Amino acid sequence: MSELLSPFAYDYMLKAMLVSALVGGVCAFLSAYLMLKGWSLMGDALGHSVVPGVAGAYLLHLPYAAGAFFAGLLAALGMAIVKQRTRLREDAIIGLVFTAFFAAGLLMASIYPTAVNIQTIVLGNILGISDEDVVQVLIISGVSLTLLLLKWRDLMVVFFDETHARTVGINAGALKILFFTLLAACTVAALQTVGACLVIAMVVTPGATAYLLTDRFGRLLALAVAIGTTTSFVGAYISYFVDGATGGVIVTLQTLLFLTAFYLAPKHGVLAARRAPAAAPGMVP
Amino acid sequence: MTELWSFFAEPLSYAFMQRALAAAILIGAVCSVLSCYLVLKGWSLMGDAVSHAVLPGIVIAFVLGLPLALGAFAAGLACALLTGYLKENSRVKEDTVMGIVFSGMFGFGLVLFTKVETEQHLNHILFGNMLGITARDLIEVAIISIGTLLIVLARRRDLLLYCFDPQHARAIGLPLGLIHYALLVLLALTIVASLKAVGIILVVAMLVAPGAIAFLLCDRFDRMLIVAAASAIGSSVVGTLLSFHIDGATGPCIVLVQAFLFLLAFFFAPRRGVFALKRP
Repeated sequence: MSELLSPFAYDYMLKAMLVSALVGGVCAFLSAYLMLKGWSLMGDALGHSVVPGVAGAYLLHLPYAAGAFFAGLLAALGMAIVKQRTRLREDAIIGLVFTAFFAAGLLMASIYPTAVNIQTIVLGNILGISDEDVVQVLIISGVSLTLLLLKWRDLMVVFFDETHARTVGINAGALKILFFTLLAACTVAALQTVGACLVIAMVVTPGATAYLLTDRFGRLLALAVAIGTTTSFVGAYISYFVDGATGGVIVTLQTLLFLTAFYLAPKHGVLAARRAPAAAPGMVP
Repeated sequence: MTELWSFFAEPLSYAFMQRALAAAILIGAVCSVLSCYLVLKGWSLMGDAVSHAVLPGIVIAFVLGLPLALGAFAAGLACALLTGYLKENSRVKEDTVMGIVFSGMFGFGLVLFTKVETEQHLNHILFGNMLGITARDLIEVAIISIGTLLIVLARRRDLLLYCFDPQHARAIGLPLGLIHYALLVLLALTIVASLKAVGIILVVAMLVAPGAIAFLLCDRFDRMLIVAAASAIGSSVVGTLLSFHIDGATGPCIVLVQAFLFLLAFFFAPRRGVFALKRP
């Protein structure tokens, strides 16, 4: 029993679990919107694109979040420009831009291996997070969460029915920009917990799991946040016993939960569908 | 002039560079041909998903004493099939399902990797190790990539019709299901062949950039194949040589050379380039 409680005795473990839970919660909040629109892979692209920014920031001793944010913005801009000017499919453009950014980050790390630890950036290192990085994560998550709590209804209206949103006087364009800015910010925060490669799980899986469990968007949000927070907290806790790979453990937990919901969800699960193959009703706001 | 000569000649005096360049040419060729189909079909991110998902396969194959390429191939294919199954049986969108499956497999692979003592370096699996390719690796790469290349080129019309116009392909009696899975298998094979050189994370660049470059330059598919192959092989060779000279990682150098070529095509393509559009 005392062994099970031993992670709580270490400051670094407490810090890791609490920071992970906070980041997991905010990312899950966004995931509810992201998966509705089919923009999931934007999360992946942003996660990879911020890598050169982080590498550059570590190289120049700047706050990592500033570099990451800048690189993410640049990548988004690049994708927008290429999309406007060519007839290439969107997925090809996303793939092209984020890999180029990621490659630039890797090259920087390979040339300056002492200043930039690429494995920390790509795989996360919440157990060894420095205090300044914790402060940055807390600020990002706090601001994002506040904005989301203030604007979640407006965002919901925009995501479900943009025309309706415009007629009731909501500025849809501004809200979309707000959403993508928040997504980039949360990607940057999640980098510290799960790393660039697994950010996508944090901003997709909790929302998708909740989507299988409820038909009301308000409940979906609450469920997604609960799932994100719990899995991140428990994942960080378990990683104490498996010696690292915190990001891997968190994401594995989230995926297992999704698969469980996929089979056992009361209305939308595979087993339920076998019992009553009636048409599933759509999502309501 | 002599400097330019030594840029090419000096690296070639090392056996490891000869192997690296041979691998770069093979991988560039097979990836470029497949990338033309992926770019047209809109499957770019399928390449991303499959490549991330091979990680647990590599670790499990190591534990069981099987060839690593086999494990990687099986895991990549499992990711594609699982994505299809989950999408068919739930109301979650395809891109979301794909993200869940590949990130889940990648995360699980990372956990496995920390628990299993392997002789593989995680960095080499993730980012590739072009300069450390052994003669045996090279043979493996050659067999997989030449085999894949021959199959794709032999069936290139069928694959093209499937990507451009599935309805028409069905109407003239092509087995769509078979072609779909064949393309997935070819994709997984290509990724396995490229892993050693550029690593899990950058394979997708090799699978998107050549097709995208050629797409900006060509109107006919056969020409697109040739331009894609030329740009991919050229940038693989130049990237490998460049990495030798600046002492940086090879995979990223190749990808950045490709990105540079894409920018050139984006700005200066004769008919579709940014500057071409401005002319009356």
